[in-house]
Amino acid sequence: MTSLATKPVPLPVPLPVPLPVSRPAPSPRVPRVRRGGRDAALWPLAISLLLLLLICCAALGPLLRGSAWWWVSALVGAAVLLGSALFRRLGLPRPIVPVANAVVLVGTMTLLFSGGTGLFWLIPTPQTIGTFTELVAAGGASIAQQSTPAEVTVGILFLLAGGTGLIAVLMDLLAVTLRWPALGAAGALVPLLAPGFIIDDGAELAALVVAAIAFLLLLRVDVYVRRAQEQTTSATGPRASRAPRRRGPGPIGGALVVGSLAIVGALILSTVAPAFTAGGLVTARPGGLLFGRGVSPMINLGQDLRRPKAGPAFHYTSTGTEQPYFTLLTLDEVIGLNWTARIDGANTRNTVDDIQRPFGLDTTVETVDASTSIVIDGVNSHWLPAPARATSIEGLTGRWYWDSRTRAIASTTANTLGQNYTVSSLEIKPTADQLRESSTDYPASVLGNLQLPVNRPPIVDETARQVTADTATSYDAAIALQTYLRSSAFTYDTQAPVEDGYDGGGLDVIGVFLQEKRGYCVHFAATMAAMARSLGIPSRVSLGYLPGVKSQDLEQGRGRYDVDSHDLHAWPELYFVGIGWVKFEPTPGRGTVPNYEQTVDADTPTALPGGAASTSAPGLGADRLADDSALERGASAQGADTSNLLGIIGLSVLGLLVLLLPAAARRMLRRSRLRRIRSAGGGAGLAWTELQHTSLDHGLVVPVTETPRAFAGRLERLGTLDPASTEALERVLLAVERSRFDRTPARGDTLAADLTLVLRALHAGASVCIRLRATFAPTSLFASLGAVLRGERHTGALAP
Amino acid sequence: MNRKPTRSSIDSSRAELASVPLAATVPFDSDAAADLNELQAAGLAIMRNVETVIDGKHEAVQIALTVLLAEGHLLIEDVPGVGKTMLAKALARSVDCTVGRIQFTPDLLPSDVTGVSVFNQAERRFEFKPGPVFANIVIGDEINRASPKTQSALLESMEERQVTVDGITYPLALPFTVIATQNPIEMEGTYALPEAQRDRFMARISMGYPDSDSELAMLDSRDTGSPLALISAVVSGETLRDMMLTARAVYASAAVKEYAVNLVRATRDDRDLRLGASPRATLQLIRAAKAQAALSGRDYVLPDDIDSLAVAVLGHRLVPTSRALGHHHQDSGPVIDDIVRRILADTPVPVGGGASARSVPAVRAVPPRPVGPTGTS
Repeated sequence: MTSLATKPVPLPVPLPVPLPVSRPAPSPRVPRVRRGGRDAALWPLAISLLLLLLICCAALGPLLRGSAWWWVSALVGAAVLLGSALFRRLGLPRPIVPVANAVVLVGTMTLLFSGGTGLFWLIPTPQTIGTFTELVAAGGASIAQQSTPAEVTVGILFLLAGGTGLIAVLMDLLAVTLRWPALGAAGALVPLLAPGFIIDDGAELAALVVAAIAFLLLLRVDVYVRRAQEQTTSATGPRASRAPRRRGPGPIGGALVVGSLAIVGALILSTVAPAFTAGGLVTARPGGLLFGRGVSPMINLGQDLRRPKAGPAFHYTSTGTEQPYFTLLTLDEVIGLNWTARIDGANTRNTVDDIQRPFGLDTTVETVDASTSIVIDGVNSHWLPAPARATSIEGLTGRWYWDSRTRAIASTTANTLGQNYTVSSLEIKPTADQLRESSTDYPASVLGNLQLPVNRPPIVDETARQVTADTATSYDAAIALQTYLRSSAFTYDTQAPVEDGYDGGGLDVIGVFLQEKRGYCVHFAATMAAMARSLGIPSRVSLGYLPGVKSQDLEQGRGRYDVDSHDLHAWPELYFVGIGWVKFEPTPGRGTVPNYEQTVDADTPTALPGGAASTSAPGLGADRLADDSALERGASAQGADTSNLLGIIGLSVLGLLVLLLPAAARRMLRRSRLRRIRSAGGGAGLAWTELQHTSLDHGLVVPVTETPRAFAGRLERLGTLDPASTEALERVLLAVERSRFDRTPARGDTLAADLTLVLRALHAGASVCIRLRATFAPTSLFASLGAVLRGERHTGALAP
Repeated sequence: MNRKPTRSSIDSSRAELASVPLAATVPFDSDAAADLNELQAAGLAIMRNVETVIDGKHEAVQIALTVLLAEGHLLIEDVPGVGKTMLAKALARSVDCTVGRIQFTPDLLPSDVTGVSVFNQAERRFEFKPGPVFANIVIGDEINRASPKTQSALLESMEERQVTVDGITYPLALPFTVIATQNPIEMEGTYALPEAQRDRFMARISMGYPDSDSELAMLDSRDTGSPLALISAVVSGETLRDMMLTARAVYASAAVKEYAVNLVRATRDDRDLRLGASPRATLQLIRAAKAQAALSGRDYVLPDDIDSLAVAVLGHRLVPTSRALGHHHQDSGPVIDDIVRRILADTPVPVGGGASARSVPAVRAVPPRPVGPTGTS
């Protein structure tokens, strides 16, 4: 018996009003939970999971056009998650439910995508599996071909819906079957984070915030469901008569806190960390993470170019007569509509120690042996930047191979970071006449470089024919194409293609580019190469670096050149019999236009590094201009970043204020009540109300069927009250009992002080989690609000 | 200031009461407060006295005392040998008043209870020989072993507090309390009391088996002689009468009365009960609660008093449906107790003081949870 029970008796042997032992532990009414049984409580969990999934799916928005895909994904996700809840409601054994979910997923996918090949529309047949395989292939191809935002083809839709369904099955398995809701939500992060890996902007802040809210909701619902289940088991279970099992708030409160912290952390990281804007030709890991190697290197190159701030790539000194272009890789095949590099494993016999000299080079063409020493600063790639026609490379670490057809240098195991090497290469100095006189009797090895897909846009051929209408030779045609593309009709623009959705170098993109006439090196290079092929000139597209800018420093007595990531470039190379692959420069304002009209004799004497630099000066000047604009872009992006940051801070502050609102309201209410009690405006009833509300805030339920004495006894048995506050509690109790049940209500002068003491002790005795909840999410406030909204009397307006 | 006695204030209250002029509206004067203290002390003395022979049955003893004080009749129902009669006798002996004892047997006649008119040869007229029922405390042992006719003779006198023999009505003593014991119904050779007659008892209690400690203590203390011999009266009959009057004067607020009415009405509407409690039950519930409050030194009734008495006062008047009995067909006691407890747990406690609003928003969706790491709820 507690001291409360003995209270009214001053004699040594108590004759207590027994705390109503005949009365069972107050049963708060939770009819909803009881009636539906434990599994009915899983509906809220399923719905909050679905909410989270749908919100996260919506985060894919920036990658895709339209919204139909979202509805389809939502349909599949809803079918799986709600179906799962239904299965549980019907009492399906726990281990079977995930299997049933997978069956639902397959059924839904068959219904939606099999085109009627399924048995009864729902059961997949071998034919359906064939359809699905085709859809997967088509989806992969569409993803590879398109840039963001992508047109949603049936294939992509299939992959999206299937992926959403799989994530839903996984989420249900983790969050409901295994009861790890925090982990279950991780599945939903995949669509949430995907945009960050594909496009520069990364995941949108709004999407992250909304997803975070949905995640918190999920955790809260899980806590609710757990409690409801415990309540049900303890109410109907064999131990019903026993006092409810003591349970620390640890795991649940802890999960809530950890979950919230994780979300806040993720929010901060995602807005600050550059990882979200990673991706690109030379900074991202080859192959990428999400859509595999399908994303064309051209798109990656564009990403690197659009980076507001250029990073250092490498620096070099060269003995050549002109500053070389550095080739990373060469796209020499058109597969589907796309320019593709040969990335089928390098021939292991073709190590860089033994590079063959280019064959088929006519002896009349003048060549210059050049030596270029390269120190890599920031290129992270499996492709080695090297001048064209390298004949030997020294100083590399790791195993590097050269591709016999494109002469690109690559490694499957090593990468470029930290390399310091010297490349000997062959500069060729063909004259215009030699190029004009070159025959069209192409060797078999380059015939593949003439292929174009039949379904290419007709504008490619038409434009090529018009531009080269009055040219006689391949060389003149090439020059005409180059001149046309460099003409003022075209504008260099790294943003427009992305914004208008024709990024990349696919032939379909070229069709759009020839109409829009805005683009960057990738477009110009791919367009010239494609038009050359349509005219019967073998062509390919090389990706690599421009020569860069001369540095102030000297290295080994020679001029040092610095190359950064904005020097990334793409250019076409055309094949001329007896000369080999000859590069052209169709991109306006970038690089150096190769001057084949110059006589060899005129050029050679001035072939000094300085002279070479001056030769390319105009080109470099243009290059710098481009860089300046890039710098400006960077600056404005920086400005945007700052304003973004301010916005984020503002939003955070606003959010914080909103979060603090309940705490403030509750505090004000408590103070006003205490003031009224002190000023005799409110009596013991008001004090009791405040005590009950505070208890409610601290997670103690206050059923209306409980007497004040029983409630006070419950408070005392918590063991959190010290003797002083226990006595204070008894005084408050006596006051409320007398005010309610005696002839004349009596009120002590110490009521307010006693109440304050009890409230403090109650708060101090609770665990940290519960204290936080009581302060920032006071249950009584929301419950009162709910009562007001339901039209019940305002509970604060109690007669004393 | 009209301070009611509490643990902290009881000693100072008299001095205070002497100095503070009482408001005319306060009906409970200082004498009454003193009465209450005396009542509490006397009640405690009786309890201690009884508990020297009854070990570990504090609650049963307390309810028995409460019923005595509330001028009700008590039914003690349990298996043989757990101390039913011992409790009844000990309670009766603790008060210095007349005690009648009737051992009910199947061949007992009504006149054996009420008394008979005998022809007096000397005075040549009929003379009334009062039966054992003419006493302040009447112990009816194994009441369910008597024939219904004899039972009803006792029960009628219990209700009417008078006995009519040969057209002449004799009033019974005041105070008048019957403490009847009975064996559970399934025992052999018993006649169950009909519902209407069970209703006459204010409360029914079960002794229950003692716990092992109490049983051990009993072996040590009572293996020789009759423990009852050790008991002597601690309260006079006059004092008992005063105590009863004091208990009657305890205040039951409208809120508490409403609570009692709600409880009793709930038994009538309950799906598991075939027969609910009568209005007499409501009356006796309040009376018993008043006595309990007085024993606690309070001059006002709390809902807690009602709660703690509800099972004892209402239980024996209720008849469960056969569905509620389920497999307990043999013994309805535990089922009934559970039903009463459920009704208690489901009936809102009224908020007195003129406010009918609930003091706390009804939070139904949130199950209870402990407040702190050491919490229990």
